[in-house]
Amino acid sequence: MGLKLKTSYLVYGAVFIVLLTLPLYSEASFIVTLMPDGLSGSALLHVFILIFMFGYLASSWNILGGFAGQLSLGHAAFFGIGAYTSSLLYVHFGLSPWIGMFAGAGVATVVGYGLGFISFKYGLRGPFFALVTIAFAEILRLLALYFDFTGGPLGLLIPLASEYTFWEYQFLEKEPYYYIAFGLMLLGILVSAWVSSSKFGYCLRAIRESEEAAEALGIHAMFNKMHAVALSGALTALAGTFYAQYTQYIVPDDVIKLALSIEIILFAVIGGKGMVMGPVVGTFLLVPVGEMTRVVFEGGGTGTSLVALLNEKVPALDKLVNYVGYLASGGGGGLAILLYGIILVVCCLVLPRGVLPAFIRPGAGMERAK
Amino acid sequence: MFSVYLQALISGLLIGGVFSLISVGLTLTFGVMKIKNFAHGDFLIVGMYFAFFCYTLIGIDPYIAALIGVPLFFGVGWMLQKFLIRPVLEAPETIKILITVGISLCLQNIAVFFFSSDYQTVQVAYASNTIEVLGARISLTRLAATLLAVVIVVGLYQFLMRTRTGRAIRAVAEDGDGARAVGINIDRIYMTALGISTACVCIAGAMMTPFFYIAPTVGISFTLTAFVVVVLGGLGNLKGALFGGFIIGVVESFGEILMPEAALKQVATFTIFTLILLFRPNGLFGTKLT
Repeated sequence: MGLKLKTSYLVYGAVFIVLLTLPLYSEASFIVTLMPDGLSGSALLHVFILIFMFGYLASSWNILGGFAGQLSLGHAAFFGIGAYTSSLLYVHFGLSPWIGMFAGAGVATVVGYGLGFISFKYGLRGPFFALVTIAFAEILRLLALYFDFTGGPLGLLIPLASEYTFWEYQFLEKEPYYYIAFGLMLLGILVSAWVSSSKFGYCLRAIRESEEAAEALGIHAMFNKMHAVALSGALTALAGTFYAQYTQYIVPDDVIKLALSIEIILFAVIGGKGMVMGPVVGTFLLVPVGEMTRVVFEGGGTGTSLVALLNEKVPALDKLVNYVGYLASGGGGGLAILLYGIILVVCCLVLPRGVLPAFIRPGAGMERAK
Repeated sequence: MFSVYLQALISGLLIGGVFSLISVGLTLTFGVMKIKNFAHGDFLIVGMYFAFFCYTLIGIDPYIAALIGVPLFFGVGWMLQKFLIRPVLEAPETIKILITVGISLCLQNIAVFFFSSDYQTVQVAYASNTIEVLGARISLTRLAATLLAVVIVVGLYQFLMRTRTGRAIRAVAEDGDGARAVGINIDRIYMTALGISTACVCIAGAMMTPFFYIAPTVGISFTLTAFVVVVLGGLGNLKGALFGGFIIGVVESFGEILMPEAALKQVATFTIFTLILLFRPNGLFGTKLT
């Protein structure tokens, strides 16, 4: 076991150094030749920024969904809270997003405690907690769409700062964002590592395995679960602010959508939930696959609509040929998410504990969790 | 003012039947296999696109398409249970939920890939026909959908009460180990149950096409509605799903009058949903299947 741990530390250390120095040679010739078309320089950094952000989000979700075993399908709500709090403070009061970020985390903490309180007070578990989190995220999305001060369906455009300074959280280059996202991911890993080895983490795991047994041992299940929701939500909110500053534009249908919540879970579950590095590993494996699928299949598209294709006055055979052509050019899109869906289903069937356990001890993840 | 409320009541009842039919499928899988199917609403699009292509390509009426599609709809559920759900029945709760989330992602994006995310409609000649009762307008297509839905739900109830397979399904719902002990083939019952469940949703989907748009993402809101109905009616309770569907239909339709803002109406629906989950987790009718 000791030796195994050391090799894994070596691997993580090597990856850390490569990632830390990546912006220095992201445009070097060997990257250009090694990577597919155009995936070098700032495009490469962009992919890594996404990976870091989702790795961080998945780690944050993991505290609640992995360690505490409470399946949240509405984490986009906390992401949206972070994005909207800091952006609103910046747009209306000119407050630096660096402060807004912590304001967002504060709001998310309060909301997390509230959500945890009403859910766990009335004994919601498993699928019912999941449903309430979905409903909660949907309510927030609809409210953000409805109110004027959040910009409604048009969203919020973050005004460009007159000069790019650190204090404004706006940068012309990708590199600063890269390092902020990298820092976030490290923060996520550190917090997970702390949770994993702390008394709090052991309480959460005990609750996950059996709430009754945990309570019998004197663990206050409700308080611990509430702490988990609040911590997980606050961390998620920090990433919301980052995303808002990175894209400079947020709309409810983008930052509080169900698809985002599901994507976060996907990475965590496929990597290995309830483990410190699981969610990060899952993200590193899946985001490149998803981005690659997007690049390969959703490049052009013929732009024809299905109805037009069906109503064409041509023989049935020609119609079929046209339709196959339409599919070959990427169809209506959606292949990247379809791939994620298939991977999730296969993962549930074959590796219910995720890929990381199988890496550490080959065959370990294969046994069906009873 | 009276006629406005009457109209709201009637349109609520008209959509309520469809809600019932969708929810009956969910409650059946809930009661029999204890599976919480988060992909439930997404099966609507199977029925919807089936009806759409039957109508657009061969000119078959959506109501007839709903009937001839039944073997296909049933088969989809059967296969799903056989290959995807059965292996995880013993897995932790989280995995059971996540696999249905994965199935939901797959269904939606298969539809996006093959049929694009554009909104489609089926425009039948009689789509805008209405009849008038006491000054309230009743859309014929919605009336037909609701009546058929009630007929199907009542038929399903009779099937469960009177046939041998139906009795076996009830036995499995009540006590899986006991049912196995008396020689019931549980795997078969599970496959039948999910088959019936998807067939109900798909028929609902096909019958909705004359008055509802078709899009790959149509299912999510219906999944949530179905969960509201099922929780309200009592998890795994068939009658509860039938009445719950009508209650939610009427509540939503009154909400529409009281809150003209569409966004706020949905907020109200989700809030009610949360409140029901919190305060009435066993529903109005208890949790026995029949």
